[in-house]
Amino acid sequence: MKARIIAAVALAAALSVVVSTASGGNKSAGQASASKLVVWLQTDAQNGWPTAVAGATSAFKAQHPGVDVEIQYQEWTTHLQKFDASIAANDVPDVIEMGNTETSKYMAARALSALKAKNYPNSQTWLSGLKQSCTSGGHLYCVPYYAGARAVIYRKDLYRSVGVKAPPKTYAKFLAVGKKLMKKYGGNKNFSAFYEPGQNWYVAMSFVADYGGQIAVSKGGKWQGTLNTPQAIQALTVFKKMVRSFSRASKTTDEAHPYPSIPFAKGRVGSFIGNGWEWPYVFNPKGGAAPKSFAKRMGAYPMPSHIPGRYTPTFLGGSDLAIPAQSKDKQLAADWIKAFTGSNPETIIARAGNIANTTTLVNVNKSNPALAPFAKAAKYSWFVPTAPNWVNVENANVLKNMCTAILTNRSSVAKAAGKASSQITKILNTKS
Amino acid sequence: MSSRSPAAAAPLAAPSVSRRRPLGRRLRRAAAPYALLLPAAAVIAAVLGYPLYYLVRLSFQHYGLFQLVRHKGESIGTANYAEIFHDSLFWHVVLRTIAFTFACVSLTIVLGTLVALLLTKVGPFIRLLLTAGLIFVWATPVVVAVDIWQWMVDYEFGVANWTLTALHLGDFNHHDWFANPWSGWAVIVSLIVWGAIPFVTITLYAGLTQVSRDLTEAAAIDGAGPWRSFRDITLPLLKPIYVILISLSIIWDFQVFNQVWIIRNGSPSTDYYLMSIYAYVESFKISEYGLGSAIALVMVAIMLLISFVYIRQMVRIGDAE
Repeated sequence: MKARIIAAVALAAALSVVVSTASGGNKSAGQASASKLVVWLQTDAQNGWPTAVAGATSAFKAQHPGVDVEIQYQEWTTHLQKFDASIAANDVPDVIEMGNTETSKYMAARALSALKAKNYPNSQTWLSGLKQSCTSGGHLYCVPYYAGARAVIYRKDLYRSVGVKAPPKTYAKFLAVGKKLMKKYGGNKNFSAFYEPGQNWYVAMSFVADYGGQIAVSKGGKWQGTLNTPQAIQALTVFKKMVRSFSRASKTTDEAHPYPSIPFAKGRVGSFIGNGWEWPYVFNPKGGAAPKSFAKRMGAYPMPSHIPGRYTPTFLGGSDLAIPAQSKDKQLAADWIKAFTGSNPETIIARAGNIANTTTLVNVNKSNPALAPFAKAAKYSWFVPTAPNWVNVENANVLKNMCTAILTNRSSVAKAAGKASSQITKILNTKS
Repeated sequence: MSSRSPAAAAPLAAPSVSRRRPLGRRLRRAAAPYALLLPAAAVIAAVLGYPLYYLVRLSFQHYGLFQLVRHKGESIGTANYAEIFHDSLFWHVVLRTIAFTFACVSLTIVLGTLVALLLTKVGPFIRLLLTAGLIFVWATPVVVAVDIWQWMVDYEFGVANWTLTALHLGDFNHHDWFANPWSGWAVIVSLIVWGAIPFVTITLYAGLTQVSRDLTEAAAIDGAGPWRSFRDITLPLLKPIYVILISLSIIWDFQVFNQVWIIRNGSPSTDYYLMSIYAYVESFKISEYGLGSAIALVMVAIMLLISFVYIRQMVRIGDAE
């Protein structure tokens, strides 16, 4: 029976595909031996300040000539899962970059080695917010790397074309500019007066903070999600109205898909809220590839608050560098971190649009009109709840899903916020 | 096709012959097939059995990041199962996964059959082109294929929106294919079916070439139309192939993960959860490895249940030989 033979051959072929896929598996994070140091950094460093990384590595190699440094660049959406897998396999990187909202879970689980602050450069003058994100139970578990504040990056020429010569100082004026821009350019279906990717929850939460709301509060040792409070619902309603009238960004993707700098460089965007590094990223081949002359048409300002004289609080994001508890060569790892967080590399990192890890470098960008507004914006800021489980809220996409539900009108603000709130309560109180 | 060769019948006669042989030799003879199976069984036990045992053990434990760092879980009985069975999202995802599998498998088999029939009708040159196209699709790695599809249906710069608008089929400017889960799933199902058709088509085409012309011509003379001839001659003859293809497709489509995960940028909303994604999110995103394992095991159980019918069919076909 030939049909049966064909069936058997098909089965064999199918299985061989499975086997070859399985055997083509992952390369391990690195067999950490004394001769090789494996460092996990986020792609931000690769895109924004590769020279700082290269400089640190060559300084480190001068000190340890026989040691190879392998920098492995990671994506924010996957690096923690890869890190967990490396913990399970006892094959961790020697240095790992973590966002300042990610560290508490790993400190609580004792997945990071305790460090001595005095061994690291500028430790007396570290940014207090970052240092706090590295401290648990009085011990230090990571080294502050850099911080970032978000501000509105806008097209000066477009603002001028609708008669607006200076950045808006109040929320009402911000809305007025948006309306004028949409009236003049909105006929082009690709144009957004204010480009807000629907899942960029940092902006939504800035509105919540501006109206006096919070994501969650701790009461008597228990966490309680508070996005269902009147303040938060009012803020999200204002946010929804603004985004739906000014933004034509996808409501189902986040601010990295695509980076707002790409449509901005293509001239489709009047303004967007971005990190400091997103200004230079507009000219990066991956981030929009705008010609140098485009800079003359760009400006930045802190997002004005609905309360006169204030800014809408910005998320005080940042990154830290940690040494996993299972690293096989902690001394080498510490030496590389020292080389990477000294004043020289930190100056390069700050010039790329960030806030350096030390207050001694606070003025690096002061005379730079492009980047000074970001430092100004940091005057009013908010941070995520300091619960050990917080990052699980991020990882379960609770706030991204809420934003999508609100902005696509799939559910009412109150309903979406209530759902997110109870999910947050549940996640934050799960014992780990 | 169903005629059995004399050689194939020979082993069946063997036991009656061996009755007269010494016991030791008979035993050795009986043990030989098992001895031959042993190496394969050992490999399967090592690469499949041990992880499965570990998965079962995990599903009865509380195993979070804290436990992961210490490589030691806490036993909590059936609490993980109780939690998922009381989770309405879980049941929702189970039903969605079954519906998704059904849609993908039926579309793959029907379209695969149509393309295979087309291959038998066209000339050699067209057939070569078609086959080459199918092989290219088959040879495209999943990640690359998903990236291409993602680019095609991209919200901001996608060629699908551009083409549909240019063809005046409506204003697809800034059309978000994933805002509505139905249209999002339509894209994902198309992507899966597109990737699955080559294997089905090429296998079925091989089968079709074995269907004797005499039979179809005789049927035509007796007045059977093409549909009748396909239903009453081709289909029964190709049944073993269909059984294998359908079983494999069910197994593949039930555990789809990569395509959905990548096309949703690694952070699908709950509208885009399949069981595999739910298990992954619980395990690797929220570090609830015990809960994730419980979901994975329920998934295995459902898959065994669904494919049981087909596996039994396969065994029956084997027995009939």
